[in-house]
Amino acid sequence: MNPSKAVEILLVEDNPQDLELAVRALRKAHLANNIQVARDGEEALDYIFAQGGFAGREISESPKVVLLDLKLPKIDGLTVLERIKGDPRTQTIPVVVMTSSKEHRDVAEAYNLGANSYIVKPVNFDNFIESVGKIGMYWLLLNESPHPGR
Amino acid sequence: MPAEFQTRDPLGQAEGLRSALDEHCGVMLTDSSGRILSVNEALCTVTRYAREELVGRDPRILNSGFHAKEHIRELWNTLASRRTWQGDLKNRAKDGTFFWARTTIVPVPDDPGTGVNYLALYTVFSDPYLAEEKAAYLAAIVDSSGDAIVGKNLQGIVSSWNHGAERIFGYTAAEMIGQSILKLIPEDRRSEEDRILAKIAQGGTVEHFDTIRLHKNGSPVTVSVSVSAIKDSSGRIIGAAKVARDISERKRWESTIRSLNLTLERRVAERTAQLEAANQELEAFSYSVSHDLRAPLRAIDGFTQAVCEDYGPLLPSDGKRYLDTIRFSAQRMGDLIDDLLAFARLSRQEIKAKEVDMAAIVRECLDELGAPWPGRGVEVEIADLPRVQGDAAMVKQVWSNLLSNAVKYSRGREPARIEVGCAPRGAATEFFVRDNGTGFDMRYYDKLFGVFQRLHRPEDFEGTGVGLAIVKRIVARHGGSVRAESVQGHGATFYFTL
Repeated sequence: MNPSKAVEILLVEDNPQDLELAVRALRKAHLANNIQVARDGEEALDYIFAQGGFAGREISESPKVVLLDLKLPKIDGLTVLERIKGDPRTQTIPVVVMTSSKEHRDVAEAYNLGANSYIVKPVNFDNFIESVGKIGMYWLLLNESPHPGR
Repeated sequence: MPAEFQTRDPLGQAEGLRSALDEHCGVMLTDSSGRILSVNEALCTVTRYAREELVGRDPRILNSGFHAKEHIRELWNTLASRRTWQGDLKNRAKDGTFFWARTTIVPVPDDPGTGVNYLALYTVFSDPYLAEEKAAYLAAIVDSSGDAIVGKNLQGIVSSWNHGAERIFGYTAAEMIGQSILKLIPEDRRSEEDRILAKIAQGGTVEHFDTIRLHKNGSPVTVSVSVSAIKDSSGRIIGAAKVARDISERKRWESTIRSLNLTLERRVAERTAQLEAANQELEAFSYSVSHDLRAPLRAIDGFTQAVCEDYGPLLPSDGKRYLDTIRFSAQRMGDLIDDLLAFARLSRQEIKAKEVDMAAIVRECLDELGAPWPGRGVEVEIADLPRVQGDAAMVKQVWSNLLSNAVKYSRGREPARIEVGCAPRGAATEFFVRDNGTGFDMRYYDKLFGVFQRLHRPEDFEGTGVGLAIVKRIVARHGGSVRAESVQGHGATFYFTL
């Protein structure tokens, strides 16, 4: 597998403006090459568990980090988080929750379910770098990983 | 044996007869001039006089004053004609008490045999008037009772019927005496009476037995019944005394109270459900505000920032400033939403009261506010502060808001002085934060603690106008009060109790 093609960031966001701003921030951080976008909770789970439209993908080739909005159509963010953290095949994937307010009651719930960090929208570059730094992913994301997919 | 009787034996009878007489009654011998010659032991006992106190005295020493003159005159007339007098006399004993005696006075020849003496025999019996009075008294009690008091024999035949019974059951005494008590008992409760009478016959009692009886007009009467045995002088159970209290009224009140309670409970449940629904709506509203209202705000801020970053060099300076203003306004609206939500949350949040170290909290707040503010001359003075009962997080919010105000509004003073202390106020301790800052105009005091109320221009002092409203809300939820005073230009003091 070509390392450069490995997905580094799974961005789960339904709001098109928020999505565009997040992608812009990632692009500014030179992290926009390997972004996979999911527009609702179901699509996010299909991707992560290699099912539905993503059947045939290898589950083991997990993203290096998931940026997860909490309010999502079909399956909400907390449920997606619970499923990722509840499955031994995926529970090590770092999940950064994106919230609209740091006072949001969902933040506490997200941490309970195993979220690794949170960032307040709009996702700007500094915001994102700080959050990724917190979970020790920064250099791994910024430089090409020698062992993509793991 | 009294010596007098051995010498002057008026009956001239044998020793045995005298001794029987002494056992049976009091005996007094008087002469014709009305002097007591001798008395026996029994008379001393009943009159409570010693023999020496009686002998030689007039027998009228025992006069109770109770009897009509005619009665006494008739006594003397009888004796004067040498006939035996017999009658009931009320006498007065030495201690002032009275006793009744069936009295027989017999004229007897005196010792020389020339004149006459009088021999009086006193047989004491219990006060007939007292017994009558007692009976009348008891009858009055029975009659004046609001309860029905009914006597009946063991066959359930009524023997007495008071006014209370008349009032409660509607039958007069004449209508009920001699009749069966079953007249009062509903068909389906007839067995009750058998059980009650059986219990009484066995020496038992029935106490406060709530049941239903019938009024003369056929309507049911709720009564509480107590029944006890009536015994004859030998202790044999010959009937039952029943006391019945009309508790229809009480039962009506009880059922009214029960139904009121049920209504109240139902209303409380309804209101609680309404309140919960309202709270849930508010929660959903807050969620919606914080989530959905922010999305467009984020886009405004985010894309304005994108324009600034990506096309900044192409913009004239005014255009750049306009975009900054857009961003500033969007962020300010974000702050307002945050503060409003925090304020709204205060009403729903549960107070978790425990002991709070005020001194520690003040120090913590000052640290978080950036003390000691390098580059600014700020003098902070903190007095000893007691521990209080309160919700730690909320109390900290109060201090934090008041202290940050003090820091903010003393900007420009050299040195700025902030004083934290407390003083007793009534039964409570009042805490205060004092600064030498710009203060506020007391004319607008009533707006000071209102939501989104500001007494300063935003370009002079930034803020959303929610801080003091939050302070007031927290203090009120703790049952305390808040006040402030200021001389504009010379500083302000904010006080609160918890």
